[in-house]
Amino acid sequence: MTGTFLTLILLLLLIAVFMRGDFALTLIYLVVGALAAGMWWCYKALTRVEASRRFNTHAFFGEKVDILLTVQNKGWLPLPWLELRETLPVALAGPRSFQMVTSLGPRGDVKFEYSVDARKRGLYPIGPLSISTGDILGLRDSLQSRNQAQSLVVYPKIIPFVSMEIPSLSPQGTLRHHLPLFEDPTRVYGKRGYTSGDSLRRIDWKSSASTGRLQVKLFEPSIALETFVVLNLNAEDYYYRIRIDSTELAIVIAASISNWIVGKKQMVGLMVNGRDPLAADGRPQSAPPRKGKRHLMRLLETLARAEVIDDSALVPLLQRQRYQLAWGTTLIVITGRAHADLLDELYQARRSGQNSVLILAGRDNPDEEVRRRAKAFGIPVVKIETELDLNIWTKKARHS
Amino acid sequence: MNPGAGSTTAGNERAFRAISYVLVFLMILCLIMAISSLLSNIMPSWHTGIIAGVMLLIVIDRLFTHQRLKDLTPFSGEWAFALGARWIVFGVVIRLLLSYANGLQAFVADMSLFAQGYIESFLSPEFIVTLLLALLAWFLAAQFLELLDEIGLNQALALGAEPSFIQYDATAAHRRLVGLIFTLGIVLVILTALGRINFSAFFSNSAGSTLVERFSPVEGGVLLYFIFGLALLAQGRLMSLQTRWNVQRIPISSDNLARQWGLYSLIFLVLIVLTVSLLPTGDSLGIFSVLGTLLNFLWSILFFLWRLIAALAFIVFSLPFLLIGKGPSMDQMPPLPDLPAEGLPPPLPTAESSAIWILVRSILLWGALLLIIGFSLRSFLKQHDTLMGALRKAPVIGWLLFAWEWLRRNADRTRVSLSRVLEDGWQSVVARLQRRRSLPPLNWISLRSLDPRRRVYFFYLAMIRRGDERGLRRKPSQTPSEYAVTLEKDVPSATEDIDSITDAFVEARYSRREVNAGQADVVKATWGRIRRALQQKSK
Repeated sequence: MTGTFLTLILLLLLIAVFMRGDFALTLIYLVVGALAAGMWWCYKALTRVEASRRFNTHAFFGEKVDILLTVQNKGWLPLPWLELRETLPVALAGPRSFQMVTSLGPRGDVKFEYSVDARKRGLYPIGPLSISTGDILGLRDSLQSRNQAQSLVVYPKIIPFVSMEIPSLSPQGTLRHHLPLFEDPTRVYGKRGYTSGDSLRRIDWKSSASTGRLQVKLFEPSIALETFVVLNLNAEDYYYRIRIDSTELAIVIAASISNWIVGKKQMVGLMVNGRDPLAADGRPQSAPPRKGKRHLMRLLETLARAEVIDDSALVPLLQRQRYQLAWGTTLIVITGRAHADLLDELYQARRSGQNSVLILAGRDNPDEEVRRRAKAFGIPVVKIETELDLNIWTKKARHS
Repeated sequence: MNPGAGSTTAGNERAFRAISYVLVFLMILCLIMAISSLLSNIMPSWHTGIIAGVMLLIVIDRLFTHQRLKDLTPFSGEWAFALGARWIVFGVVIRLLLSYANGLQAFVADMSLFAQGYIESFLSPEFIVTLLLALLAWFLAAQFLELLDEIGLNQALALGAEPSFIQYDATAAHRRLVGLIFTLGIVLVILTALGRINFSAFFSNSAGSTLVERFSPVEGGVLLYFIFGLALLAQGRLMSLQTRWNVQRIPISSDNLARQWGLYSLIFLVLIVLTVSLLPTGDSLGIFSVLGTLLNFLWSILFFLWRLIAALAFIVFSLPFLLIGKGPSMDQMPPLPDLPAEGLPPPLPTAESSAIWILVRSILLWGALLLIIGFSLRSFLKQHDTLMGALRKAPVIGWLLFAWEWLRRNADRTRVSLSRVLEDGWQSVVARLQRRRSLPPLNWISLRSLDPRRRVYFFYLAMIRRGDERGLRRKPSQTPSEYAVTLEKDVPSATEDIDSITDAFVEARYSRREVNAGQADVVKATWGRIRRALQQKSK
């Protein structure tokens, strides 16, 4: 097309020069003017187009996220056509994507609403929105601009646990315990008559005075459950054929345990041996044990963004982290495979007053030697192959 | 997707087809006029009016029969019969018309020669050229219509079929349409330029000028051709886009996209034509002369068509009389149409122009030309990346680019600062106007009707207003004490009074202490002194 156009211009210039043809000059103005004005219009109008999205940037698994897209023409030049194509993650939108054609008058705006389904946890970009337009005559190719993408965090799936046996050595907490070793003097649940050997500190003098016989207080044993969840997303520690499913299962387990512990008003911390696309160093930040819903949301966000990492051994990280944890903290290590050095490290933790639970996620069969060694060290090992296996923590309590 | 997209598209398609056909007809009409003009210039003895009329009729026939002919399988028996019969009729009609144009006697003589088997007398050069031109008109109309079909007609297919089954690119078809219009435009320009040459003077080597100096209707026709072409391109663009959107199943949110497109196209073309008309063109015609020429040309086309139809009707009606040997006399025959050479606008009188006006026109002319050349060069270089790369490596070009960047940067900086100054000035004017509007004139406020607290407010605000007039505007972030410091720097003689009125205002405004009339009078006196100090300062 350019060749034809230039030939025409050249020819007209020649006619204008040699034959003094006014019409040639007028034609040059017309043709070049139409081309230049069309391009200028299109370019100028597109620079004044702005698009913005409004949506909840965080969604729970299974939720539907409504996105309100507003496209605004901030200039006075109208746009006869505008082709909008939103780039959406396949995991959320599936094969359908948002595409629309519209036109915008001077200072006009249009609003579109579409939705995506939070079907998979993760950090997803919503956009960028590609905005195409062109000159009204179609003499030049379309122009395109892209607006910035925004992020949507989908939290991992949470399975509501009702009961879970996590060993703890922290006395005087808020959870009941069966061992009288952890009797809490602030939780009086009854009185009985004094028997020889009872401590004088236990005598309830008021009731003794009123009954005329010595009465002693009965204390309820309780523990504090300070837990630290260690999630291993090192690719080598998962069987390669089921790596994706196993790591996702491990994340679901970590999220569900954290949710259960926070629901019990206990403290929970998290360390993920994986990759965080938003972190400056690419590693997820460890969260020290804390209570409360806000802290839980922080943990869930870390888990939502966590990705599998290569060549990142867990044990050195665990070693560094362990020294920052309080005495009596329970370490819940979730991984695909357990090696001897990990068990050794957990044993060291146990010796220094911290409990350990090992959860193996995925269908990979654990080594018999590992089982034997864990048993010898007194480290409980729980094998979770699928999400259905988590029923052990959802059904037990119903029976009880 | 819009539920009504299908019906809307179908409705649009009908409207598009009608408009496209009219535009194609008008464009080919412009081409025919140019060809006729050239023929009459080269071969004055030929019946160029008849030739033009025949070509027009062929185009009309092609437009009407396009749909029917398109449905026939190419090179099938039915197709060959339809085309063959049509062209035999065309050939005979053309020959009859050309014979009849020479007069009734010549017509009868030709018929008798034909009846005696002298076929070679039938194939005169004029007839062959006319037939070829008719074929050209047929072919060109078909080209336009097929391209338009390709751009727009697949919409029905696109709405019904799966996207994966359609390997269709309407944009490519639109590009071909652009190419066809511009190529034909080049041919038209060449024909028009040739038409400007006075061939009789050229061949006879006479002393007269070999160039026709006037802006003829044919040249107006070339302008119109491009305007119609641009309109067709605008419409073709919409059709190609709509087809693409339908093929890709992209929904259209605006219900009136086609209407808005039409409106924007019209405004765009009108603005372009108006601008072009106002630009200088050497011996400039000016807007009114161009418009006059175009209107005159349109009128001549209509008149020409009317005469052509009248002549044809007369021939048809006279044929039965001819068979019974009672042909109409030459006097009764209506004058055969010829190219509308009458009514050309007279050459523009060369008005005595002032030197400044000539200078302005020259600057505009050369500026516009330089812009066009620059724009064309830029487009060319953009299309040829390798050439651009090689040029960038040349040191001279590097220096030029550097100089250009420097110039652009400085121009940008100047533009930004200028626009900032203008904006600030405008904001200041607007703010002043708004302030004047929001506050009633001071003489409307009756001080007696105000309570003492409000009187203190009044005097303090009066001080701020006066300060503002002296260029010491109170910033919104400034507290009364901070503003007092600013004002004191300007009027050091009234430092104590400014402090006093500020304190009084702060007390009246922010405390619950009662303000009595005596205190208000003191503030009034203080304000009087400050006002005098400000007046003295301004003197």
